[in-house]
Order: sequence, then structure tokens, then C-alpha cells
Amino acid sequence: FYTAHILLINCLVLGFLILFSFLFSGDVVEFHGPEGTGKTEMLYHLIARCVLPKSGGGLEVEVMFIDTDYHFDMLRLVTILEHRLSQSTEEMIKQCLGRLFLVNCNSSTQLLLTLYSLENKFFAHPSLCIVILDSISAFYWIDRSNGGESFNIQEMNLKRCAEFLEKLVREHHLALFATTQMIMQKSSNSTESSIPLKLLCEADVEYRPYLCKSWQQMVTHRIFFSKQCNFSSSKTFSIVSCHTKKNHIIKCSFSVAECGVQF
Amino acid sequence: MVILRAGLCPGLTAEMIQLLKANGIVTALYEFFSVPFGDGCLSTQALVAVRRVLLAQFSAFPVNGADLYEELKSSTAILSTGSRSLDRLLDSGLYTGEVTELTGAPGSGKTQVCLSIAVSTSHDLKQNVLYVDSTGGFTASRLLQLAQTRTGDEEEQVSALQRIQVARVFDVYKMLDVLQELRCSVSQQVLSSLGPVKVLVVDSVSAVICPLLGGRQAEGLALMMQLARELKTLARELSMAVVVTNHVTRDGSSGHLKPALGRSWSFVPSTRVLLESREGTWGKASTCRIASLTKSSRWTIA
Repeated sequence: FYTAHILLINCLVLGFLILFSFLFSGDVVEFHGPEGTGKTEMLYHLIARCVLPKSGGGLEVEVMFIDTDYHFDMLRLVTILEHRLSQSTEEMIKQCLGRLFLVNCNSSTQLLLTLYSLENKFFAHPSLCIVILDSISAFYWIDRSNGGESFNIQEMNLKRCAEFLEKLVREHHLALFATTQMIMQKSSNSTESSIPLKLLCEADVEYRPYLCKSWQQMVTHRIFFSKQCNFSSSKTFSIVSCHTKKNHIIKCSFSVAECGVQF
Repeated sequence: MVILRAGLCPGLTAEMIQLLKANGIVTALYEFFSVPFGDGCLSTQALVAVRRVLLAQFSAFPVNGADLYEELKSSTAILSTGSRSLDRLLDSGLYTGEVTELTGAPGSGKTQVCLSIAVSTSHDLKQNVLYVDSTGGFTASRLLQLAQTRTGDEEEQVSALQRIQVARVFDVYKMLDVLQELRCSVSQQVLSSLGPVKVLVVDSVSAVICPLLGGRQAEGLALMMQLARELKTLARELSMAVVVTNHVTRDGSSGHLKPALGRSWSFVPSTRVLLESREGTWGKASTCRIASLTKSSRWTIA
């Protein structure tokens, strides 16, 4: 059962064209970047690859998508699926979409309760092995304001969510992908970062961590999205992937077309 | 931190809370869910029952993608803005379920575009519009003018104007009130003589939010995100097209114009249009305006 999951996730790796060295189930991947850099598009690419049938180049696994800021555009996903399938009939699209589950959460408390209630879902669907959370930083300002003066209370809900997510990922052998929005300028004091400063500078990445420590320590791969400014190349977005434990970096660039992400 | 109290859900009575406290089970939400079974004299069944009811009442339910697609196919509509070139820019019009933002410097025509969208929706599409005005730029006489260009028949003009509801708000709390009232009236299915609102125009969002930002407090940003959440919820759940307007500021490093309200707001609209006035000959401002798309989930911007 466990080895089957490793095999599945490795197939996912090939789809990303050497983006990760190895992606095991139990991995937590964070997509970080400012607005308009292709994070949501990359998620569609990921979902498409997971729900498409094997004949269409997919993995036929089920995906749980937790949407915290009503970002998800179903019609865009359907467009991408139609481009990927050789014969895109209504039936095939419905079959693919049947492997996707969507939840909308309105507050960090609701997110926590939803995670509790989703546990049953994971027991009932063994092929549900990917969880996408877009985005985990959506409640940041509201939580901060509700927490009053104490940082602890401000971060409490997110901390609980992160801890429970870790438990779910561990017990059900999931891979978790979460997006965080880059909402702050890079601070001059960079001792807070868990990735060595020198490595970040080499990769030319602006990163200022602001979510709670429990979440930051849980992440195994952090991928930074940014727009490329050189107009000579046709690729318009670039990603830098940092493995938090092994401290090595891989860079890649991609562009977004009608049919989705193209590397 | 959420504390359980009596009446929070059916089955959670005051006696039960006392019993929980007596058994040393903490009634803060997280701790309640992580307490192991079989402790003390509180029956496991009762605990499980309360947990189940709490989850059923307060957590969100997953929906299958295929079902959601079916629902969206029937409820999503694309509403024309009344101007063919703007429609082309927006990929055939305003999409319901999304927030579209118009940004521009003062005098670039944002209010005019909003008024024209309102009239085109109420007259051409015969749908209801809620126009929330926070700048004082709304004038009914201008609306009448726009309606008169579309039809000469007075009755049609009047019915077009009747479909536009106006709310004047001058601070963010009143704006939140108006939006929540809209949501309540729809969810309680209050039968107004008009029917459901299809387009919500908020002119402008920055006028009520800018005074709150600045300083080191998170209050202002939290209110802004709360407002953003209300707008998006209205758009998605009630299948409305939401149009908001925003100011522009100059980017510190590059000197280009960028929409105001900062990075956190930039994630909220799905589509952003920048309106600029073109400099006519002899440096005078002309009546010509250019609209350019700065963010879209449908077009790829080279």
C-alpha cells in the first residue's frame, strides 16, 4: 500500500520535468509568490495530471481541493482537461471531475473543523492521496486582528491546522500542496528564514516568512514563483524550488497558454 | 480560540458542559476534539454524538467536482458591459462568480464605466443591479442620460432605472452592513418586486479602505480582507458579477502606475482593468480613454 503511493508520486515527478529530485508521499510542498505569477495555474496543471485517466497521461488518483478564498475556477480547469484529452467528451470530463473533491472554508476555525470532518473521507477513499490547500495564508490578517495583542492566540488556529494536517499527511500517506501569498516586502532582518540566506540570494528569491513556525517547519519543498522580466525569452514565469532539509535548489521556467502550463 | 458553551449546537446542554469540566475535559474547541475516548464517567457515545453534531453544523462539506461543474454550467452567465471593446477585453463580458476591478487615476472614467455597466445591465439584459456608492459620484441624471441614449421610450427608461438600487455608504462598516443585508435578503428569499440582483457595483472600494490602512495595526488590513471575503462570497454563492473600482499609486521602484490597496488586495480580483486617459494633441486631456488588462485568469498577458 505504501509503496504504491511512492510509485504514484514518482510518476507525478516526471510530469514536472525534473522539478523535484524525489517527491515522496508525506511531502509537504509550499507554492509561494506574489499575485499573478502562476501558482493557481500550476495547481490546475497538477490537478489535471492527477485526475486524467491513464490513457490520457494521468494518474487516476483522487484530489481533495480546499479553497479558502474562492479562487478556484472550474471552467478554466475544464478547458485544460479538454486540451489534454484526445477525445474530450462530456462523459470523460465528468469522469475526471468525479475524482476531484472541493471544499470552501470561510474562516480558520471552519478550516480546522473541516479538516477534522475530512478525516473520514480519507478513510473511505484510499485513492485520495493528494490534498491541495489554496491558500493557507488567506486568513492571516483576520486572525491577527482577532488575536489581540498575543502572537500566540493570533497564530493558534493556523498552528492547530498545521499540526492536524501533519497528522493527516502522515497517517494517510498524502502529499500536501499549499499556496501562500507573498503579502509583505522582504525584510532587512532575514534571520527568521529557515533557508540559509546565502542560498536564497544565489537563487535571487525574495522571501519573508510570516506564517507560524509549525507550518514553516512542516514544509519539505518550498517553491518560489516569480515573473521573469527579460522579454527575450518566451517563458514568462520562473520557479525556484528549495528543498528545506537538503538545502539544494532547482530553477525552472514556464509559460502559461490556453492549454495550461507549458515548461 | 473557540470555547464550547451551552446551546452552541443541539445536544450540547449546560449539564453536559458541567460534566465535561468536572471530568477535566477542557472545553476549548481543539482540546475537545483531541481528548481520547473512554475517560471518566462521560459516556463515549455522548462525546461522539456531540462531536458529530458540531462538525455537521460548523464544518464545510466537500462537493464532487462533477456535481459542481453541472451546477456552474447552468448558473454562470457572462454579462455584456454595454461596450463592445470592453467586452472583448474582458473575454466577452463580466463573468458571474468573479470580482472584476477597474483601476485608474481620478478622472480616468471609472465612475462612468460603472454607470454605463449599470444601465446596460438593467436595460439591455433586464437584470437588477445594486450600486454601492462611496464617493458621491453617482448621479441619477447621468443614469437617465445613459438610458435615453439606449431607448427613446420613456416607460422603458423608467423601468431600467427602477432596476438599479443605490446604496450610499461612507465607511467600511456601513458597506459591510449593506453587503450582509443583500446576502440575508437573498437567502431568506425575500420576494422583492424586482427579483435577484445580478450585478453588484462598488464605487469605490479604496475610498472606504484607504483611511484604515497605514500604521502598524492589522485592524485595517483585517477589515479589508473581511470586505474582500464578503464580495467574493456574494459573487460565488449568489452568482453575481461584482465590479469594484480602485485608485492607483505609483510603484516606488519602477514609477509605473499600479493599483492601490497593496499586495493583500491584489489577490482578490480575478480580472483587473487599468483605465488611462490618453494625452490629446497640445498636451490637453482628450476625451479618449484607454483600458488595458493588467490581470486576467483567462488571457495570458505577454
